[in-house]
Amino acid sequence: MDISIIQAILVFVVAFIMGIDQFSFLESLYQPIVTCPIIGAILGNFELGIVVGGAYQLMQIGSMPIGGAQPPNAIMGGIMATVFAVSLNMEATPEGVGAALGLAVPFAVFGQYAVTLTFTFMSGMMAKADKYAEEANVKGIRNINFLEMGVLGCLFGILAVAGLYGGTALGEALQDFARDFSWVMAGLDAAGGAMKFVGFAILMKVMMSNEMWGFLLAGFVMALLCSANSSTSGATLLLCAFVGVAIALYDFTTQTKIKQNAGAGAGYVGGDQDGI
Amino acid sequence: MAYNIPDRYQDLTPAPQLDKKTLNKMVWLSCFLQASFNYERMQSCGWLWGILPGLQKIHTNKEDLKASMAHNLDFLNTHPFLVTFVMGIVLSLEQNKADTKTIRSVRISAAGPLGGIGDALFWLTLVPITAGLTANMAMDRQIIGAILFLLIFNVVQFIVRFGLMYWSYGLGTKAVTLLTANAKEFTRAASILGIFVVGGLIANYGSTTVRLIVGETQINIQSLLDGVLPKLIPLLITLGIYVLIKKGWTPVRCIILILVVGIVGCAFGIWSGNSQVTDENGNALLGGYTPLVEWYEYPEPAPAEKTGQEAWDAVNAVVESLQEAGIDVSMPE
Repeated sequence: MDISIIQAILVFVVAFIMGIDQFSFLESLYQPIVTCPIIGAILGNFELGIVVGGAYQLMQIGSMPIGGAQPPNAIMGGIMATVFAVSLNMEATPEGVGAALGLAVPFAVFGQYAVTLTFTFMSGMMAKADKYAEEANVKGIRNINFLEMGVLGCLFGILAVAGLYGGTALGEALQDFARDFSWVMAGLDAAGGAMKFVGFAILMKVMMSNEMWGFLLAGFVMALLCSANSSTSGATLLLCAFVGVAIALYDFTTQTKIKQNAGAGAGYVGGDQDGI
Repeated sequence: MAYNIPDRYQDLTPAPQLDKKTLNKMVWLSCFLQASFNYERMQSCGWLWGILPGLQKIHTNKEDLKASMAHNLDFLNTHPFLVTFVMGIVLSLEQNKADTKTIRSVRISAAGPLGGIGDALFWLTLVPITAGLTANMAMDRQIIGAILFLLIFNVVQFIVRFGLMYWSYGLGTKAVTLLTANAKEFTRAASILGIFVVGGLIANYGSTTVRLIVGETQINIQSLLDGVLPKLIPLLITLGIYVLIKKGWTPVRCIILILVVGIVGCAFGIWSGNSQVTDENGNALLGGYTPLVEWYEYPEPAPAEKTGQEAWDAVNAVVESLQEAGIDVSMPE
């Protein structure tokens, strides 16, 4: 398949937009059912793109990005599946395009690596955000958001264009590379999963006092219990909040009553204690 | 964190109600909640960007705006389509100049539970239903599938975003005026709720586990730890980092430490991690990845249980061989 420079630029632009849309903006453009027909149209086979989109979408339904878990990236997967289906001239039926979905897997994995790297890098940028906030620098905060969207968009654009020219040979090379260095990506995955504890610790520092330790552990236990039971695990944090609200409300009413009583009966209390 | 966020704002006179234009602007910006998503604070910087138009209107005092911006960068993770609910509540508190500690506690308590609700509503209900329906149209080569999907999804999304913003802002402003009389007690109660939810977050989002399988008998260290206390590692790491931050470590230093420990640990196969890499047969790698130094053997997964059909065939074969041998047996119905 001959690829003109205009087609390559268009693929870059689409990948750029979808790379951003997977987390921000409409959060629906990036779904394969939308992305694949667009890529198909750019490469000159709109109908094939629609079918690949439908097939990829069905495969995708089972793996939604829930609770921070990141499945192999649907955008890179969808784009490359369309590229392979068109370049290998596959038949426009769900069975015909099946092989294209498999060939796209290494690219989907690398799409996920791009996301992991960006999220790790941006964790470091939060110190910069703190500084902008202290200076009430509104533009600085906006620019940090633009920076991540730009980085993510470019990584996806570059990966898609590389895939467009490199084809299946690049897919195999990427896969070999990933196999040799799987421990690095697993390390980033493990570290990424642990970075949120820094955010938790900062929150704890704000709210913690000696008597609060019990509540921290109680919340921890509540979540453990809810998540251990399959019928409550989906609503774990909501159930936690219910119990937390009950405790907080009780404390609030008790404390305000104590305050009112202390105000009304201050004389008596003082008198008694003086007497003792 | 050189800057200490004050407990109270300097200007304590409640700000006037926000106009519709500002609220709408924040709803549109809320679409970019995850624009600067990262592992440490997740959606915090995108959240701040989204809520800034309101904060700028509310805090005319520059020092107060600084304080407000700084504490609105706390860790935040909620559902992107339901975030305007949290925005409305936080804006009503900011507008009434509640203590910063109160706002921080209420924010995390409101944001956390919404994550699960939103996942259930959108990713597990709306998307599978609409995408399932429209994917079939697409496989019949009809582009109307994609158009319908976009239409349904985004109409629902924006009804939810706008509806929640106005509802929760109205609700919040009504509730907050009742609470100002007992602000100190409210701050305390909010902190209790906040810390309770943080405890829940540690158990709910803490996913760090060890991969180690050691000894002749292949002892799974993680299941040993789970026997002591489930989610022990996430709890210990959080407490460890809390101590470090109390000692004056910056968040960036903590993150670099985690990064180094994570990657070095995986070089030796200590932490569980998913590299998403597959082997020649398309199966996931044993234990998620291949460590650089393989000093212990990761066991092959147990062979899959026999399927119902295989078991049935095996029983049938036994019955037949018995019958051939002249023994009278019959299969139960």
